[in-house]
Amino acid sequence: MRGPSPIPTPDPVLTVNGLGKIYGRDDAGTIDRTGSDAGSARDPITGAIVAAWDVNFEVAAGEAIGIVGESGSGKSTVLRCIAGDLEATSGDVRLSTHMEGRSNVLLADPATRRRMRIDQLSVVYQDPSEGLALSVTAGGNIADPLTAAGVRSFAKIRERASELLSRTEVPLNRMDDIVRNFSGGMRQRVQIARALANKPRILLLDEPTTGLDASVAAGVLDLIRGLLEELDLAAVVVSHDFSVIEMLTNRCIVMHHGRVVESALTDQLLEDPHHPYSQRLVSAARA
Amino acid sequence: MTVEQAVASAAPVREEDGLILDVRELTKEFVLHNIDGRSVSGLSGVSFRLSAGEHIALAGTSGAGKSSLLRAIYRTYKPTTGNIFFTLEDGNTIDLVGLSDQEVTMLRGRQIGYVSQFLRAQPRRSALDLVTRAGVYRGMGRDEARDMAATSLRRLNIGEHLWDVHVSVLSGGEKQRVNLAAGLMSPPRLLLLDEPVSALDPENRESAIDLIAELSQSGVAVLAVFHDLDAISRLATRIIVLEKGTVTRSGPTDHILPSLTVGDVQP
Repeated sequence: MRGPSPIPTPDPVLTVNGLGKIYGRDDAGTIDRTGSDAGSARDPITGAIVAAWDVNFEVAAGEAIGIVGESGSGKSTVLRCIAGDLEATSGDVRLSTHMEGRSNVLLADPATRRRMRIDQLSVVYQDPSEGLALSVTAGGNIADPLTAAGVRSFAKIRERASELLSRTEVPLNRMDDIVRNFSGGMRQRVQIARALANKPRILLLDEPTTGLDASVAAGVLDLIRGLLEELDLAAVVVSHDFSVIEMLTNRCIVMHHGRVVESALTDQLLEDPHHPYSQRLVSAARA
Repeated sequence: MTVEQAVASAAPVREEDGLILDVRELTKEFVLHNIDGRSVSGLSGVSFRLSAGEHIALAGTSGAGKSSLLRAIYRTYKPTTGNIFFTLEDGNTIDLVGLSDQEVTMLRGRQIGYVSQFLRAQPRRSALDLVTRAGVYRGMGRDEARDMAATSLRRLNIGEHLWDVHVSVLSGGEKQRVNLAAGLMSPPRLLLLDEPVSALDPENRESAIDLIAELSQSGVAVLAVFHDLDAISRLATRIIVLEKGTVTRSGPTDHILPSLTVGDVQP
């Protein structure tokens, strides 16, 4: 264990320890038979899928950590277990906003976990239809978490919705249009506005710009970076795209077949990757 | 190694030394797993000391390890063995090699600055924003940082009409000066410079060189790679010559400089 450091680092807002998610029937040997070294997340004996195992990291306010890896590496699984969209098989996740970090939120009851999603922790999904009701207006989508948090005044809701939409650069005259009629980039901006409605301390971003045109993606990335700096959020960014990770994060972890194979400073990962898989990933991205 | 061990194994630093950096037997090996697992040596046992107000220029032929050394100290490269003892603001000495990623993040931009010849990442920002942020990152208030950013940009001849333009559309020389202005905001204790004036026209090169000289005078320890002998002769107090990742010669600038050739400062 490390002693007190002469270089003070900020206290974590989100702490993840030993997080794991297994689908199907596992036995005592499953973990050894899966992972990066085994070359697969699937246990050849029981058929269980170890989507994520032994994932550890912490994030402080004003800091963003990246999770990189190819499709199926387990990075979105980790994010969804933290968010409560998926039930983790094992692990300990603490938020400084929940009982001052004294309690493992993975053990909290579903109602408590839903409440955390209202004003402590928000998620921005790759697919806006996961984070938004497409048949509802932009304003209505933002009103939803506000009313859930107990805001009753219509005027206050409208005011906060306009504030958020201007901050995310959505034209205010689109506030009463249904989201289905919005472009991909605009939907993503509304999703971000909704995620920030109740000023959460933690923001989880799952491939937030994947699937958008390059110029639109660049605009959304600029917005996200500005918000992360301005709002002092603790953020986790899941992406297979190194340019996204490089732009938004200082540190990152690399996942392969459900395991963390490397954690590093982002510039170090790009210039001096150590794990064979990280080296392959970086050289493919740089080619 | 824990921080305590790092502190304990460091030589006691006398205050009057003003020692900032004490690099001992630093090595860096790159293991290329996907090219038959071969190992490429970047640094093989580099040792030197650098004090406040000193300016050491690194020389050596292309591939001698000059940039690798800067990157290893900044921790963009993870050193393989050796120590990099760094004296903190409060006088404590720590080994940069053993620090956690979070600790490195805290030191960067605050106590250790790095300016490279290329503006890496973050191109989609205005010049003023980029330089202001460097100050905010270092703990200045936004307004104070903005004022100082304006002063630095003026100092480096970046016209006000360019301040709110995305850095990505600026010329190479302009980018480099913006980069330099950002690196110089609220001077760090240790400044690592990788060819900071190489893309500049003569006039801008002069203002950049003046600025770097002033930083040394104010007590910043500078470790730099230049690819012209003129910049070295005007800025460096000492020269370290590297060859195949080790120090072959070092000494005061006027001793070493006469023996250097253009080949010793190739990128």
